[in-house]
Amino acid sequence: MASKTATKDVITLKGSAAIVSEFFGYAANSILYNRGVYPEECFVKVKKYGLPMLLIEDDAVKAFLACLTSQISEWLESGKLQRVVLVIMSKASSEVLERWNFNIETDNEVVEKGVSRAKSDKEIMREIQAIMRQIASSITYLPCLDEPCVFDVLAYTDTDLEIPVTWMESDAKLILNPQMVKLHSFDTKIHKVDTLVSYKNDEWDEQ
Amino acid sequence: MILRTPPKKRKSEPLPAITADNQLVIYEDPNPESPHQVKADFLEALSSNEKEVDSLQSKLEQVNEEMQRKEVESKKFESRLRFVEQELAAAKGREQMLQKQYMKDVTDFQERHQKLLKDYSELEVKLKKEVNIRKNLESTATAAEEKALILEEKLQKLTEIAEREKKHLQNELSYFQNDSRLSVSKINAERELFECRAINAEKEAELFKRQLFELKNQLEECIQKKNEAENKLLSLNVPTQEPNSEGTRIRIKNLQDELRNYESEVQEARKLKSFHANAELLKEKISEERFRREQAEAELIKVQESQTKVDKLQDELMPWKSMIKEIPGAECCEDIPKKFAVMQKELVESMLKVGEVNGRLKELEITLEKALLDKQDAETQLGLAKKKEEEMFLELKRLELTVTSITGERDRLWALIATYEKEAAIAGKMDGTSGTGGADENRVKELELSLAEKEHMVSELEHSFCEQKEVIGNQHREIELLSERLNNEARRIKSLEREGYRLRSEISLLESKLGHGDYSAANTKVLRMANTLGVDNEAKQTIEALRDELQKTQARLKAVEEFKGQTDAGHLVDSSITEKLAELKKQIATLEKREERYKTVFAEKISIFRRACCALFGYKIVMDDQQRPNGIPVTFFTLHSIYAQSDDEKLEFEYESGNTNIVMNTYTSQPDIAQQMEIYVRKWNAIPAFTANLTVESFSRTTIS
Repeated sequence: MASKTATKDVITLKGSAAIVSEFFGYAANSILYNRGVYPEECFVKVKKYGLPMLLIEDDAVKAFLACLTSQISEWLESGKLQRVVLVIMSKASSEVLERWNFNIETDNEVVEKGVSRAKSDKEIMREIQAIMRQIASSITYLPCLDEPCVFDVLAYTDTDLEIPVTWMESDAKLILNPQMVKLHSFDTKIHKVDTLVSYKNDEWDEQ
Repeated sequence: MILRTPPKKRKSEPLPAITADNQLVIYEDPNPESPHQVKADFLEALSSNEKEVDSLQSKLEQVNEEMQRKEVESKKFESRLRFVEQELAAAKGREQMLQKQYMKDVTDFQERHQKLLKDYSELEVKLKKEVNIRKNLESTATAAEEKALILEEKLQKLTEIAEREKKHLQNELSYFQNDSRLSVSKINAERELFECRAINAEKEAELFKRQLFELKNQLEECIQKKNEAENKLLSLNVPTQEPNSEGTRIRIKNLQDELRNYESEVQEARKLKSFHANAELLKEKISEERFRREQAEAELIKVQESQTKVDKLQDELMPWKSMIKEIPGAECCEDIPKKFAVMQKELVESMLKVGEVNGRLKELEITLEKALLDKQDAETQLGLAKKKEEEMFLELKRLELTVTSITGERDRLWALIATYEKEAAIAGKMDGTSGTGGADENRVKELELSLAEKEHMVSELEHSFCEQKEVIGNQHREIELLSERLNNEARRIKSLEREGYRLRSEISLLESKLGHGDYSAANTKVLRMANTLGVDNEAKQTIEALRDELQKTQARLKAVEEFKGQTDAGHLVDSSITEKLAELKKQIATLEKREERYKTVFAEKISIFRRACCALFGYKIVMDDQQRPNGIPVTFFTLHSIYAQSDDEKLEFEYESGNTNIVMNTYTSQPDIAQQMEIYVRKWNAIPAFTANLTVESFSRTTIS
C-alpha cells in the first residue's frame, strides 16, 4: 500500500504535460461556456476535478480544442511553451475584449535531465478545482459580453521552436489599458500555471 | 539601632530558668529581701523593659513599615516584573511574528534571490549566446552587407546592362523585325510582281520565241525565196532583175525592221530574264534577312536568359531583404548597423541593470545577515534577561520568605511580650520575688540578642536590597539597550517593509505587464492556430454568398431567356459582340500590317545604308556589343576592307562612351601598319585618314597584283 501511494505521488514530465494540457482543454470549455461565446445548448455536462464541468459538443470546436491540447502537450514536454492565451474578440469588429492568460513556468532541470518530482494528484486536482471555481465565478465581475464573440488561442513559445503546419505567427492581440484579475495558480512541481484574466475597461464603469 | 542603658549589676543569682517550652518557673528566693525593694526593682526593670519593648515595638513598626515599604516595592517590582514579562511576551510574540515574517521574507528573498540568480545565470548564458550570435550576426551582417553591396552593385550594373541590352535588343529586334517584315513583304510583293512579270515575260518570250521561230521560218522562207529569187534572177535576165530587187529590198528592209523589232523584243525579253535573275537575288536577300531574323531571335533568347539572370538576382536579393525585414526596425541595409548599435546599448543597459540588481541583492543579503545576527543577539539577550528574571523571581521569593520569617519572628516576639506582660501581671499580684529580676534580664538579653539578629538581618536585607537595586538598575539599562535595539530592529523592519513594498510594486508592475500580454521578441514568439473554425465559417459564408449569387444569376438568366423568347435581343447582343470582335481583329490586322510595313521599310533602309557605307568608305563594318569585367559596356567594331586580300586584314576598334580606340591585332601589329597607326591615330587622332590611307594602299596593292 505504501509503495502504491509512493508511486502515485511521483510525477513525470509527460504526466505533468498531460495534466496541464487537459486543464487547458477544460478551462477553455469552461470559459467558452461561462462567457457565453457559444450558446448553452451546445454544451454537455460531465464531472471532472470534483466539479460539474461543461464540454462543447460542436464537432468543429471539439476538433479545434483537441488539436490545441495535443499540440500544447507536445510543447510542454519540450519545455518551450511560455504562455497560452485564450482571446475573446468581437465578431463584428475583431476588437479584443478579454485575454485569459495562462502563464507557464517549466522546471528546466526536469526537461533537461528527465528527473521526476513528487506531488500528489489530489493536491493538484484541488488546486485546479480552485481555478475552475474562479473561472465559473468570473461572470460576477467581468463585463457582460453583449455582442457575438469569437475566440482565438495564442501560444507564447521560445523563438527557436519550429512552427507546426497548423500554426502561424501572430500579433499578441493586446488590450489597451486593461483591467486585470489574478486567479489562483496550480503547480505540478514541473509546470507552474499562473492564471490571469485581463479585460477591456467597461465604459459604464469608467463613467 | 536602639541604644539602651545597661541594667544594674546584681548579685549573681540564678535566673529563673526558661524551660524548653518557654514557660516561666516561679523562682523562690533563698535570701528573702524586702518585697517592696524587689517590686521597685522589678518595676524599674519592667519599665525599662517596657521602654525597651516600646523601642523594640517602634523598631518593629519601623521594620514593619520598612517591610511594608519593601512589600510595596516588591509589589512594584512584581508589577514591573509582570509588565516586563508582558513586554517580554509581547516582544516574544513580535519577535516570533518578526521571525516568521523574517523567515518568510528570507525564504521569499532567498527564492527570489535564487530565481534572480537563476535568471541572472540564464541571462548571462543568453547574453553570451546573444553576444556570440551578435558577433556572428555582425560578421555575417558585414559579410552580407558587403555581399549585398557587391550584389546590389552587380545587380544594378546587370540590370542597367540588361535593361540597356534589352532596350537595345528590343529596339534592334523591333527594327530587324520591322525591317525583315518590310523587306519580306516588299520582296514578296516585288517577287510576286517580278514573278508576274517573269511569267508575263516568259509568256511574252515564248510568244516572241514563237514569233521569232515563225519569223525565222519566214526569214528562212524569205531567204529561200530570196535565194530562189536570186537564182531566178541569175537565171533570169537583168531588166527583170531591178524591179524584183527593189521589191526584195523593200521586203528586206521590212524584214530588217521586223528583225530590229524582234531584236528589241528579244532585248526586252532578256531584260525580263535579268529581272527574273534579280528576283532570285531578292530571294537570296530574303533568305539573308531570314538568317538575320533568326539571329535576332537567338539574341532574344539571350535577352530572356539575361532576364532569368535578373530574376535570379532579384530572388537572391529577396532573402536579404527579408532578413532586413526580420530585423525589427530595420528598413534598409543602412539600418542594420544602427540596430546593432541600439542592441549593444540595450545590452550594456541590461548589464548595468543586472549589476544594479546584483548590488541590491548583495545589499539585501548583507542586511538580512545583519538582521539575522541581530536577531540571534536579541535572542541570546532575551535568554539572559529570562534567566535574570528567573533569578529575580527566586530572589523575590527569598525575600518573601525572609519577610514571612520576620513576620513569624515578630509574632513570636509579640507572643513573648504578651507572656512577659502576663508574668508581670502575675508578679504584680504576688508582690514580686527576687527571682523575677533575673528572668527579666535574661529575657531582655534574649530580646537584645534577637534584636541584634534582627538588626543584622535588616542590614543584610538592606544590603540585599541595595544589590537588588543595582541588579534592577542593570536590568533597566539592559532593557533600555534592548529597547534601543528593538527600535533599530523596528527601523530595519520598516526599511525592509519599504523594500518589500517596492518589490511588491515591481511584482505588480511585472504582473500588469504579464497581464497586458507584453513579451520580449528576442525570447518569445507568438503563435496562433490556423483557425479552421474561422476559415470554415468564412468558407460557409462565401459558399452561401456564391449560392445567392448563383440563384440571382439563374433568375437573371431565366429573365433573359424569357426576354429572348419575347424579342430577339439576344441575337442583337451576340451580333454586336461579334461585330466588335471583328472590328478589333481588323484593327489588329491593320496594326500588324503597319508594323510589318515599318519593319520592312526599316530593314530596307538599314541594308541600303550599310551597303552604301560599304560602297562609299570601302569597309564592311561588323558591330559587337560586349561587356568589360568591371561591367562597363563596350562596343567592338570590326572593319573588313573590300580590297582586303585575306580575312586577317581587319581593323578592330572599341567604342566606349564616345571614345574610339584601335585594338591591336596581327594585322595592325605589322610594322608598316603600326607606323601608319602611330602617325595617323596616335599622333593626329585621325582614324578616318588612317582607314582611307589603308584603303588606298590595299586598292593599289590589289590593282597592282
